Amino acid sequence: MLSESARAASAAEARYRVAAPNSRARAVKVIALDDESEVIIKRLAEMPWRGATFLTVLRDPPGADQTFSMTGWLRDLAGHAKGLLDEIAGADNVVMIAHAGSAPENASIVGEACSLRRVMTTGLIVSAPATPDEVLSRTLAHLRPWALMLVIATGEEYIADMLAALQA
Amino acid sequence: MLRKEQSDLLVHTGPGTAGGRLFRSYWIPALLADELPENDCPPVRVKLLSERMIAFRDSRGRLGLMDEFCAHRGVSLWFGRNEEDGLRCPYHGWKYDTTGQCIEVPSEPVESGFCKKIKLKAYPLVERGGVLWTYMGSPERQPPLPEWEFALVPASQRFVSKRIQESNWLQAMEGGIDSSHVSFLHRGDLNSDPLFKGAKANQYNLRDSRPVFEVVESPGGLFIGARRDAEDGNYYWRITQWVMPSFTMIPPRGWHPVHGHFWIPIDDENCWTWSFDYHPTHALTDEQVNAMREGKGIHVKYQPGTYRPLANKDNDYLIDRAAQKAGRTFSGVEGIAMQDASLQESMGPIVDRTKENLVSTDNGIIMARHRLIKAVKALMDKDTVPPGVDIVHQRVRSAAVVLPPDQPYMEAAKDALVVREGTAHASV
Repeated sequence: MLSESARAASAAEARYRVAAPNSRARAVKVIALDDESEVIIKRLAEMPWRGATFLTVLRDPPGADQTFSMTGWLRDLAGHAKGLLDEIAGADNVVMIAHAGSAPENASIVGEACSLRRVMTTGLIVSAPATPDEVLSRTLAHLRPWALMLVIATGEEYIADMLAALQA
Repeated sequence: MLRKEQSDLLVHTGPGTAGGRLFRSYWIPALLADELPENDCPPVRVKLLSERMIAFRDSRGRLGLMDEFCAHRGVSLWFGRNEEDGLRCPYHGWKYDTTGQCIEVPSEPVESGFCKKIKLKAYPLVERGGVLWTYMGSPERQPPLPEWEFALVPASQRFVSKRIQESNWLQAMEGGIDSSHVSFLHRGDLNSDPLFKGAKANQYNLRDSRPVFEVVESPGGLFIGARRDAEDGNYYWRITQWVMPSFTMIPPRGWHPVHGHFWIPIDDENCWTWSFDYHPTHALTDEQVNAMREGKGIHVKYQPGTYRPLANKDNDYLIDRAAQKAGRTFSGVEGIAMQDASLQESMGPIVDRTKENLVSTDNGIIMARHRLIKAVKALMDKDTVPPGVDIVHQRVRSAAVVLPPDQPYMEAAKDALVVREGTAHASV
């Protein structure tokens, strides 16, 4: 007589897996942290997505004598201002994209907001294959403290594959 | 989630398939050397990449791997007589050499030369590091012999085993790069398994069950770094190597040997899990080898006379619900290898990836699929040699290191991630 496992793990039994959706659409916020990344996410935004929102941030951080204001800091691709905390509050995952060599100081603002709201963060650095150590380090230093998962990819095409895999 | 057509590109590895062409670009492990222990020993059936073959060692020690069936009436040459430089079919006496060439057809006049017209498809079979390797691709693209470090150290410094896994190769391999399951499925084994316990690094693991992962493309595949806090603001890194198509090397622990796997398709619903342990600079101890033979670490106990694990799906993996409830094992299955295999086999022979819900910590799996699909397409469309064929890609090591907090680990640990002759692996 077949064991429970032998029967259940057969190809024949695989046909009887319940044919009903086992998840709902996720909200993934994809935030470009530098100019090169903004170009990439504009291309990505033209593809069909279930629950991905593409956003950019103002590049220049406030000076030491300035008070940081959230207003207008985060924008959608049409240039409309978005509230950072509001956007993050509804997110399942926030993906921050930076180009190797950039110094995305604004990662800390996104990261702190995600930490506050207990939202998963993914950092994705797009890097050319021969990027020097010190160039990559500059970007890593800003993203690493705020990314619970960090990926260094040698081509932007990975981002689309990753978002599809995450059902964004 | 992976679309079915993407998954199909990788999971089917028979002749004429895209995934099959990928695997046919590499030298792959076919048998343990001691399965053909002496000249004229019994032949062994081998199925790889959905092709049934027979392996034998002839009277002069030459190794052969060829079509299992006699060209005459289709008899399995497993019944053959291995004698006088060839394998003879017992039905009508047709005889083949190690290249698959028929060298005798007793019913035909020798002068007719008929036997020269008969040749079974054969593949090269070479011994290296206690393993018999084959290359099943086109002869004109045959790469140099494999240079994995475990296969090049003296025999006393390594231990290699294999086991049948009753699932597609890809879901088995994906388990090998899914570092985030270790804190759950294998918890408990770090402190009890003789091939893991006692390392200082285990304290880092046990203090922090939620490491942060960094996945980085390497020339041959991926580095998968798992980061935990160490002393003085530094990070403890465990860096796994994945080299295409299906080699993984797990980071070492303390003075224990370093280990890893190959997952090689038998057919689309079964694969060989090859497991190796080695030390780059000194012999394994008797205690270590005995533990490996007893199925500790990443090895298994076998059903006698087979390479099928003693705990298998026919006996429900000997699941012990009391041990599970008491926390001695997390899943109720004993041993790291079968803890993994039982769950991977439970997915069914080929898991339906359209139903999965990957999360961010699955980026190692997502990136591996991305690179495999990219390599398959480049191979099919442009005849591009895939990563992992180049022996430079094979001369790698996993590592466990403590590093300053702001450095890319693949650069800071650059020396530790490649083979350095005469130097031990980097371990904590």
